Amino acid sequence: MGEANGKSAGAEALRVEDLHKSFGPLEVLKGVSLTAKVGDVIAMIGGSGSGKSTFLRCINLLETPDSGRVTVGGELIRMRQTRAGHAVPADQRQVDRLRARLGMVFQSFNLWSHMTVLENVIEAPVHVLKKPKAQAVEAAKTLLDKVGIGDKLGHYPSHLSGGQQQRAAIARALAMEPDVMLFDEPTSALDPELVGEVLRVMRQLADEGRTMIVVTHEMGFAREVASDVIFLHAGRIEEQGLPESVFGNPKSERCRQFLARLL
Amino acid sequence: MIDFKGYGWVFVEGLMVTIPVALCAGVVAVALGLFGAWGKLASSTLPRGIANAYTTVVRGVPELVLILLVYYGVTTLLQDLLSTLTGADTRIDIDPFSAGVITLGTIYGAFATEVFRGAYLAVPKGQIEAAKAVGMPRTLFVRRVLLPQMWRFALPGLGNVWLVLVKATALMSVVQLPELMRMTDVAARAVRMPFTFYLGASVIYLAITIASMIAFQRAEAWANRGVRRA
Repeated sequence: MGEANGKSAGAEALRVEDLHKSFGPLEVLKGVSLTAKVGDVIAMIGGSGSGKSTFLRCINLLETPDSGRVTVGGELIRMRQTRAGHAVPADQRQVDRLRARLGMVFQSFNLWSHMTVLENVIEAPVHVLKKPKAQAVEAAKTLLDKVGIGDKLGHYPSHLSGGQQQRAAIARALAMEPDVMLFDEPTSALDPELVGEVLRVMRQLADEGRTMIVVTHEMGFAREVASDVIFLHAGRIEEQGLPESVFGNPKSERCRQFLARLL
Repeated sequence: MIDFKGYGWVFVEGLMVTIPVALCAGVVAVALGLFGAWGKLASSTLPRGIANAYTTVVRGVPELVLILLVYYGVTTLLQDLLSTLTGADTRIDIDPFSAGVITLGTIYGAFATEVFRGAYLAVPKGQIEAAKAVGMPRTLFVRRVLLPQMWRFALPGLGNVWLVLVKATALMSVVQLPELMRMTDVAARAVRMPFTFYLGASVIYLAITIASMIAFQRAEAWANRGVRRA
């Protein structure tokens, strides 16, 4: 484990400290922190509205946190205050550079619909990382084989099933050779019979030692694959620990209730 | 075969002006439309105010009035202004071709602004988020993701704007631009065959618009690659 990207296990991959975020009067995150070491698979669970997706989107600044610190591979994302008092990134180029090291997989796939599967996967390596196209194509084919859709290279996303689209989206994220993979409810938009094929790919990535933060409703996956489980409730961490302790012996009453409803 | 009494060439000469003036005005309109849409969607108030004023004024005044205003009004205004400033008698002439490109481009740029604004809003947010998430800087995702997807939603509306623009080039005849309408008019009067010549001109305008519609259909099919028909 921990050999992905040549980094040794135990080193810090991602640190988030005291994240706060409000949408208007609604405070969605009330100080959430997390540290992921290389090779960690952290599952974030919680009811809808608990803030888990917002938290994930704050890590790569798709949402701008109001306060708190995000450190990717030891590099702090620098923020500044506008005159109106809003926090904004101090250096957009730093944000773009660090985003390239955080692979994101969305609930609704978000494959670029005007590009084929192959074009989707090579787009960022070629245009962001400036890789030679032939090399990017080779790497893309390997990745698409790995996620099991090597025969769909020339297809447009709309011609694929949801599960195939999500696996293509995972390949697109992997093509950037990210240090950390962020999964935002990757199976929630899928028909039940397609969930398994996506979870299988994610499990494979975890087995390879990839660092992953997974927001999910798949409790089986969280229990079996995660190295840590975080239960969020109303913008705070209510329970955190090894899967066996969170699922087997939750200390928080809310976590107990949440799990009782699901399991 | 219809006899144009040796004046058939006026159609060719007219077309040689109508098509370039329409194409140039079309390019100006698309450029202004993109700028206008950016202004309207901007978060700061100044570009928004300018873009709103632009589309409100330009779309609210008849084309013919604007053409005369630019061709006669603006040149006279600049002339008087410069004469007062420099003390010397200054003459500014704008040739009818440039006047046509500027005026028609400005007018249909305002309509294109609304087309592009709608197209931008129609692009699913997730497409842009996915581009940001892989670290694409703004200029890159605008070029590689946003614009290609905007064309899908913009092309039908732009096709409309283009057809109206082509026909509006006929209005430029009032400032003696030797385009199709003006040339036809001259010939029709010279040989006193208004029906024959105006009918000829109608057929040519129709041919241009039909050719344009086919071109736009092709462009739409290309822009919609990867989209499954509902």
